[in-house]
Amino acid sequence: MPKSLSISAVAVILLASIPLGYLVIRATGSGIAVAAEVIGREKTVTTLMTTISLALLVAFFALVIGLSSAWLIQRTNLPFSSLFLVLGTLALAVPSYVSTYAWIALIPNFTGFAAAVLILTLTTAPYVLLAAIAALRRIDATQEESARALGLGPTQVAKRVIWPQSRPTLLAAVLLVLLYVLSDFGAVSLLRVDTFTRVVHTMYKATYDRSAAAVVAMVLVLLAAVLIYAEQRARGRAVAAKSGLGTIRTATKIDIGNKKYVAVAYLFVLSAASIGLPIYVLVTRFIAVSNDLDISKLVSAAAATVTAALAGALLAMLFAIPLGLLAARYKSKVSTIAESAILVTHALPGVVIGLALVALGSKLGFLYQTLPLLAFAYAVLFLAKAVGSVRTSFARVPRVFDDISHSLGNSNWQTIRKVTIPIAAPGVITGFLLVFLTAMKELPATLMLRPTGFDTLATEIWAATAISQYGKAAPYALLLVLIAALPTYLLSRPDRAQVDQSRENVGL
Amino acid sequence: MTTLRIDGLTVTFANRPVLNELNLVVPAGAFAAVLGPSGCGKTTLLRAIAGFITPFSGTIRFGDQLVSVSSIVVPPERRKVGYVAQEGALFPHLTVAENIAFGITDNKIKSDLVTELLQLVGLSKFANRMPNELSGGQQTRVALARALAPAPKVMLLDEPFSALDAALRDELRAEVSELLKSRKTTTLMVTHDREEALVVADVVALMRDGQILQTGTPAEVYHNPISAEIAISTGDVLLLDCAKDEAGKISSVFTPTQLSPSALPGKLVIRPEEIKITAAATGLSAKVIDLDYYGHDAVVHLDAAGARVDVRIAGPVELKVGDLVGLEHVGPIRWFPN
Repeated sequence: MPKSLSISAVAVILLASIPLGYLVIRATGSGIAVAAEVIGREKTVTTLMTTISLALLVAFFALVIGLSSAWLIQRTNLPFSSLFLVLGTLALAVPSYVSTYAWIALIPNFTGFAAAVLILTLTTAPYVLLAAIAALRRIDATQEESARALGLGPTQVAKRVIWPQSRPTLLAAVLLVLLYVLSDFGAVSLLRVDTFTRVVHTMYKATYDRSAAAVVAMVLVLLAAVLIYAEQRARGRAVAAKSGLGTIRTATKIDIGNKKYVAVAYLFVLSAASIGLPIYVLVTRFIAVSNDLDISKLVSAAAATVTAALAGALLAMLFAIPLGLLAARYKSKVSTIAESAILVTHALPGVVIGLALVALGSKLGFLYQTLPLLAFAYAVLFLAKAVGSVRTSFARVPRVFDDISHSLGNSNWQTIRKVTIPIAAPGVITGFLLVFLTAMKELPATLMLRPTGFDTLATEIWAATAISQYGKAAPYALLLVLIAALPTYLLSRPDRAQVDQSRENVGL
Repeated sequence: MTTLRIDGLTVTFANRPVLNELNLVVPAGAFAAVLGPSGCGKTTLLRAIAGFITPFSGTIRFGDQLVSVSSIVVPPERRKVGYVAQEGALFPHLTVAENIAFGITDNKIKSDLVTELLQLVGLSKFANRMPNELSGGQQTRVALARALAPAPKVMLLDEPFSALDAALRDELRAEVSELLKSRKTTTLMVTHDREEALVVADVVALMRDGQILQTGTPAEVYHNPISAEIAISTGDVLLLDCAKDEAGKISSVFTPTQLSPSALPGKLVIRPEEIKITAAATGLSAKVIDLDYYGHDAVVHLDAAGARVDVRIAGPVELKVGDLVGLEHVGPIRWFPN
């Protein structure tokens, strides 16, 4: 059985490496000298500096905001703490290009580097918030109490008990933020900040000089790969958060006294900026244009969005199941290679996959601008996410269940069908929903690969905002946020035991 | 009824033998307990019998059927073994009834059999509950019913009661052993709890470092251990340094005698209940230094000429710390050379 799994896994890895492989061929096709010339251009160097400084600044602010709000929500007697958690999570439903659109529509001349730092910080802080809350919840309060009894002060407890156990989760969240900034296309393009994604897209659009675009895209991929490698090195071994039997006891909340009004004001301003403002703009603009609303166009864009995202998410899960099952259940050389290969797909921004598949598609005419190619792009783009959820879900099924099922007369396949899959299913379905949700919001690859006349919500918002028709974009943006908010809200319900698992599935 | 017979079983992990030429026979219908400390290989033994791991060499027979020889290893699903893991390991996505029905292939008898087994383990009202709605003891009972459903030839229990609290454990293990004995299912339980092994089993096998050192009834292994080490693992002991000469004479604090110079040094093994406390004038004189009172009996800690001696006595205790008493050894002489 592991053998047939290994074969499917290798097939998936080969398929998923097509975009990167093709990009490498394109980038080096005109010779190393040409590639070196492109890398040496002043434009490439300034782009690199802009991209790195944007990513670092956003990561810093997201970390500060995410950690402080997580601590306030989880560990203090903050009023409305569960409301703030829901609002913080709902911010994930607003794609960066939609919040950018909202800010631009409200404030004319809202462009440039500082604006990009603000927007991307607000967009990515929820990732840190969720990771920090999950990490804090996983730590048994008795551990902290024991540490206090052993004479450690609160700061010492944070340093010697909480940090070592939450470090892997927080580092993963920071990596997620950095990769988000590197691959973000919508916000930086609307704000006219020349990071790699915008430059690659401009080169592709303006000159059709795809070899040079491929070289610049390779620099971006390398930058992402370096970050992923650094995070893997820094992460170290994950520490078990719980020892012994029994359930985890949550910590008692700290009374912050009158400072709670300051805290509420702080979280209120954050929520207002990240979700209140976009919703306000969307709703007012929508009301303004609601009289001459083209319902049929809105419905067809929504249908196109759902169709493409559904196809992409299904394909991603199909790819992810052999890889995730192998990684969770059958440690081998193939599973190690699979895990590294999946990490690499993490480093491929939508613009890069779009560029590679456009070039490949124009070679293979029958695929060019077709729905299957777009679905394939989504599947590769979100493969790491999908594999993560599949792996976590299968790893959670204890091996003793296999033994018992075998002793009761079931073969390997029967055991997988009757025991492993039913237990893992909720996690896998959550993972599917997350990929589906993320694919609906995807912009750059959709722009580059969609069939002619196949307008999705994302591309409609983009097209209208790019020519400053803010009213026209409003219905599409509002619908997209509403569709995206539903699964996001479900994931944030704090009373569910599955929350932590779902959050891990987000890639944290 | 099926006899379980294991001959020369060797299992290795990373070239290190975990089971080393192990031999064991469990008579048909008997309830056997393998008693050993953690790390001695007892869970590995269970897993090899179930077929979850492939032995390096040796044979396992269920009655006349060879289920494991070097070349032929019958997969677990075709062995007809019942397996109850620690903490039950009920399938969390299935109800109690669905868990019990899991291994029943004949759809015609399924619902009747599930009803019967639910009754047998006293959980008829819980058929539609999910495992997380049951207490630990109830989970163990469901796990047992699930394992019994396909009428296994051999039932394997892996420390099934270790996660339960003391009162429940006593009650449940009595129930379980009675149930398995009444159905005449050949059973092998592994445990590190000596009391559990002695109370429930017909046959106790003592395991150390991948081998079975002694097999016998609970009384045999308790009263006639083949080494001091086994005596320690089956109950409390008093170990007294004492030598024995060729004539068979033994010199201990109870019976000091002159021995020939070539006498072998060794240990005398005495159970705490084999020493009688008498009046101060008779026997070995000793002083009471502490008392552990258990209600049904008590353990008296004494100092006998510098040697620490523990004595178990039944009924009400009239002694107090500081009393001077006499000690008399009333049990069999168990002597093992060093």
